[in-house]
Amino acid sequence: MTESAAGAVDLATRIELEDFYYREAELLDERRWEEWLELFAPELEYTAPIRVNRKSPAPDIIDGLGHFDDTLSSLTLRAKRLRTDVAWCEDPPSHTRRLITNLRVRPAEDAGRLSVRTNFMLYRSRGDMGAYDLIVGERQDTLRREGDRWLIAKRRIIIDQSSLGTKNLGVFL
Amino acid sequence: MSRYDLRGRQELEDRIRKTVDPEQGRIPMFVYTDPDVYALELERLFGRTWLFLGHISEIPNPGSFVVRTMGEESVIVGRGDDSVVRVFLNACRHRGMRLACEDFGETTMWRCPYHGFTYGSKGDFLGTFMGAPFEKVAYPEGLDRDSLHLLEARCETYRGLIFATWAKDGPSLEEHLGDVSWYLDLIVGRAEMEVVGVPEKWVVPTNWRLPAENFASDAYHTATAHSFLSRLGMVKGVDFGRDGYHIDPGGGHGLGVGVHFDDESYFPAELREEYERNLDAGQLATLARLKNMHGNVFPNFTFLIPNFIEIEGRRVTGAMLRVWQPAGPNRTQVWAWHLVERDAPEWWKKLGRRMYTQTFSSSGMFDQDDTENWEAQTRTSDAALYRPEEFDLHYAMGLGVPPLPESEFPGPGDVYDGKFSESAARSYYRVWRDHLLEDGR
Repeated sequence: MTESAAGAVDLATRIELEDFYYREAELLDERRWEEWLELFAPELEYTAPIRVNRKSPAPDIIDGLGHFDDTLSSLTLRAKRLRTDVAWCEDPPSHTRRLITNLRVRPAEDAGRLSVRTNFMLYRSRGDMGAYDLIVGERQDTLRREGDRWLIAKRRIIIDQSSLGTKNLGVFL
Repeated sequence: MSRYDLRGRQELEDRIRKTVDPEQGRIPMFVYTDPDVYALELERLFGRTWLFLGHISEIPNPGSFVVRTMGEESVIVGRGDDSVVRVFLNACRHRGMRLACEDFGETTMWRCPYHGFTYGSKGDFLGTFMGAPFEKVAYPEGLDRDSLHLLEARCETYRGLIFATWAKDGPSLEEHLGDVSWYLDLIVGRAEMEVVGVPEKWVVPTNWRLPAENFASDAYHTATAHSFLSRLGMVKGVDFGRDGYHIDPGGGHGLGVGVHFDDESYFPAELREEYERNLDAGQLATLARLKNMHGNVFPNFTFLIPNFIEIEGRRVTGAMLRVWQPAGPNRTQVWAWHLVERDAPEWWKKLGRRMYTQTFSSSGMFDQDDTENWEAQTRTSDAALYRPEEFDLHYAMGLGVPPLPESEFPGPGDVYDGKFSESAARSYYRVWRDHLLEDGR
């Protein structure tokens, strides 16, 4: 039996989590940021460390400085900014599509919490020539239960590039 | 254009001489992305002038190294076993293979992964992988070890900033920096600074000069490009970027110092003693009123103290260094470092890092909108290369405005009242033109 099948979550929860992530992708692709922000816990830590090229076995993830280093209040500010009429980088908006796959669920260290990993591919096309960027990586989330819903208490985003190939991260991961 | 196409080069020099006219506030758009201009820059600018490569805290020990770029060439910036910082072309003398294929690390010697030619940490040729008996057979006439020394750039540091140049002679780093060093002290000399983590890198489809010039001279764009700040009530009005001074310290460098009118300094009280040990009275007085500082050291090294904002209940800022690394006439790799005082209180370190990342990283709320402008300008320029007539751009803001008398501001250079001016951009292009036409005069 795999680790996840061994009892981290039952099948119903697994389906619930899949739906959770599909809905999250939908909210982001449809630019419904206010609803998206409701998926996060107030104590949220939202980070994206930097990848580097090193001789193995040295780790290739450096946590000191990141592409994101956010809290719920700063994500809220980012969303408010995007709602102004002067958020030039995303207005007119990029055409985005987020594909979320490879769901892996484990019990987190704190009882009642889940450690959830998913892979993502964000397709982002801007401008009039059909050009697009791909941002690919892994989300490492910690989820906690509040009432009948899940909240993301922690998200660490591992991007699979040591030098980002998109001109800015004006989109959420 | 090949460097041997002399007729083409002469025509290009004549065109630059005739049309790049900062004295009248006119810059022709072709210089933004013309591939021939870019080739000339790689040779006469990036091949000769001082280039910023990193901060001393990135290579703390004998044997520490980082891999960086000068022009488009990969270089190793390393501390030798004698602790001296040296800069080598990242290329084996045998067939040109890269010696360091990683971003950073520690080593006692360089062994080429192709044929095993091996070099010491001072760049000296140590031998072939196969050893002395093989060398006797393979090279019966002997190996000229001196000619196999790694190609080495001239390297100097200023307040922990590591620079190098391929020019064997010419100005020292101190001469190159000139009066901008007084202002660099405010960001990297005020205390013992250290790089947080590693530099962040990303690629923007822009010519490298557009962002360099923006940080050197352009506070005016903040009123439009970054007007979200006033929309959200985070600053007092769209002209928040005007309060302060526009400064042309000479040498093609440029900067803006933003000031506030509160009694208390925005910098943490815990660090003031250290600042007082490191700065002179004029610098301390400037720091006490400082709310932001943006600037560029010619040609492509940008520095920034972002506008202080309140985050999680405290007023903080960051300390950013940045290189606009050319990767073709219309592509730039951004290298962004964030530094902090080594002995700073934890809240200043944590919140400063967050504030920097939220405002000025690849995801930064300022940077996002800037990249949109630079990309579009680059595309306009690429398309305009084939126009029958010159497309002149307007660089005249502040033309004819005299600088303040020296008694009005403690720092050196031509200092203008209010940050909205393009004087420093005009000086940038004067120095740029002088570098490019060096051989033609």
